[in-house]
Amino acid sequence: MQSKQWAATAGAMLGVSLIAMSGAAVAQSVTLTLGSWRTEDLAVWQDKVLPAFEAAHPDINVEFAPVNTNEYNAAMQSQIEGGAGPDLITCRPFDVNNEWIGRGYFTKLDGLAGLENFDATAKAAWTVDGATYCVPVAAVLAGFYYNVDIFKELGLAVPTTAAEFTAVLQAIKDNGKYTPLAVGSAESWQLAYNGLYSIGPAYWKGEEGRLGLIDGSQKLTDADFVSAIAAFQAWKPFLPNGQEALSYSDMTQLFTLGKAAILPDGSWNINQVTSTGLNVGVFGPPAVEAGGQRYLQEMPDMAIGINAASKNQDAARTFLSWVAGPEFQQIYVNTAPGFFAMSNQPVKYDNVLAQAFADLKTGALLTPRLALDRLSAGTPPLDDEIWRLLQVMMTSDMTPEAVAAELQAGLASWYSPQSAQ
Amino acid sequence: MIRPATARRSLLIFVLPALAIYLGFAVLPLLISIFMSLFDTGKSGTGFIGLGNYIYLFTQPVVSARFWNALFNNFKYFAIHVAVEIPIGLLLAALLTGGTLSRSEGIYRTLLFIPATLSVVIVGFIWRLIINPLWGLVGFPLLGNQLTALPTISLMGVWQYVGIPMVFLYSALIAVPNDVIEAARIDGASPWRIFWGIKFPLILPQFGLIVILTFIWTFNGFDLVFALNGSAPGPNYSTDILGTFFYRTFFGSSGQVADLDLGATVATVIFTLMLCVTTAYFWLVQRRLKAHSA
Repeated sequence: MQSKQWAATAGAMLGVSLIAMSGAAVAQSVTLTLGSWRTEDLAVWQDKVLPAFEAAHPDINVEFAPVNTNEYNAAMQSQIEGGAGPDLITCRPFDVNNEWIGRGYFTKLDGLAGLENFDATAKAAWTVDGATYCVPVAAVLAGFYYNVDIFKELGLAVPTTAAEFTAVLQAIKDNGKYTPLAVGSAESWQLAYNGLYSIGPAYWKGEEGRLGLIDGSQKLTDADFVSAIAAFQAWKPFLPNGQEALSYSDMTQLFTLGKAAILPDGSWNINQVTSTGLNVGVFGPPAVEAGGQRYLQEMPDMAIGINAASKNQDAARTFLSWVAGPEFQQIYVNTAPGFFAMSNQPVKYDNVLAQAFADLKTGALLTPRLALDRLSAGTPPLDDEIWRLLQVMMTSDMTPEAVAAELQAGLASWYSPQSAQ
Repeated sequence: MIRPATARRSLLIFVLPALAIYLGFAVLPLLISIFMSLFDTGKSGTGFIGLGNYIYLFTQPVVSARFWNALFNNFKYFAIHVAVEIPIGLLLAALLTGGTLSRSEGIYRTLLFIPATLSVVIVGFIWRLIINPLWGLVGFPLLGNQLTALPTISLMGVWQYVGIPMVFLYSALIAVPNDVIEAARIDGASPWRIFWGIKFPLILPQFGLIVILTFIWTFNGFDLVFALNGSAPGPNYSTDILGTFFYRTFFGSSGQVADLDLGATVATVIFTLMLCVTTAYFWLVQRRLKAHSA
């Protein structure tokens, strides 16, 4: 009798605890960490993006864990190789990520719902041998901001060809009141990213030239590339005095103070450029000749992949499916103006200038930065060499031909499709 | 009287906390870094390659050219510091102890030392504005010219740290015994002769110490160059020093994979260089000085 009672009590207790346990399992939530180099986006993710995701998926928490931009690559590599690292990794475009994919850092995204929203070109920066490892988040564009009031005052129209562009610069210079082009050579990256990679594609015909370098059918010493470098060098007389020592922020300041007419820059600088309430417009890189094809630099900037060592693969896939969808894209590009959605789903930009930037894509052929795909995966990296030699060209009397010859020699020293010939 | 065994035990207890921190946070990372430099991480994982990284660092044409360039620039950076900072430090210390600044001595001493306490980022920012061709006082692009960029940055470093040799020499000068100076004055020596004939020889040992400390600071230097010119300091790597070369190698950049193993190799080479120079100094110079004054 006593033993039966005991058994019943024990059974009841067991049942209760089982129910409690299964209840706990249902309510148990998964926390995913998202590694990123965008420390400045903390508020964007914490206040806007992640709450929207968590509202639809109460069982998954996502924690945004950014690392200082400069230390991001080293931090991710040492964490992942030590068997740790965040569940979700923000992916650098092209060469760095290809190396990381090769080292097995990522889980393949085969069959992920939402991945069909991206074209092959949008996924190219994160795809190896046909397999995609990261969901594209955003791209950046490069063009020319211009001061609408200065253009009106001097009676200038937005240039559409290289000749018109030079004529506009000359007219501003002759007037003498404003600096025609706000460009300084102290920070070499922007000479490449906002200068050569922006106007150059019109000369090397965008993807044709870029892929030609990659497969070895074209050389940097070919006429197309040399004329592109020469077209960039031709900016020199239109730059502010002492440009050799002026930095990127000096240039933004010169433009926002209304002292310069045109600022070649990337879409990421939209907020700063309009911060003083200036009447700013944007135009795309000019075509080489009247009626010629227009090109626009669209650089894949950011994507998110899953750490192969993460214990929460299913939750991570759920999150990435949401990132691939229109809700995320809409929220992200509008809380971080200057970043553009890469999916083929229509996205509306609230920021007027961002919408104007997005409109430049219509009728233009898009191409990423020249040297970041395969051409910078050796020593010396082509991208670094372009930064260095453009800076030398703009601060000394080095010729475009000499720049092209040195670039070609550096690339051919390690990149086999180029050294074979 | 405390027995030797007890003394030894209590000595151990007192030393242990500091020793543990030193071993854990200085010696151990150093050893791990040396260990790391013997490995290579690639697509097939991490493998032992012996001195392969060192061979690569010294023989790969581009990498070795950047390394020698950074080393050479670092010697220039050091030489400018020594050549400008020490004479100015000596002059300031001599003026401070010259007796003419009776009441304002403390104020000057403090003012001259203040830059050394500022953050490098602030120093870089202020100087960048002062010599900015657009907003500043100098029309010439000092930082945009391959010949003037490194001397310019070095002089900013001198401006910031001139207080340190000054304080060293100042404390040595006030330690010079007054009776010797008074005797010289009675003998009719001029202040100029007193300084070079008496004070200067007595503070001479300080210079060796200042030079070796400047060597350590400049070869560990990184922050000022990085604050002004970033991690690929131009134009044409003319302001690249070992610290920025290491940083670039170890941390990579948006378009470059971080090479932790090669970074550890560079760090080990810098460490070895500094170890050799400081050891040579202490064996050759510092020891002899002790023997001399005894």
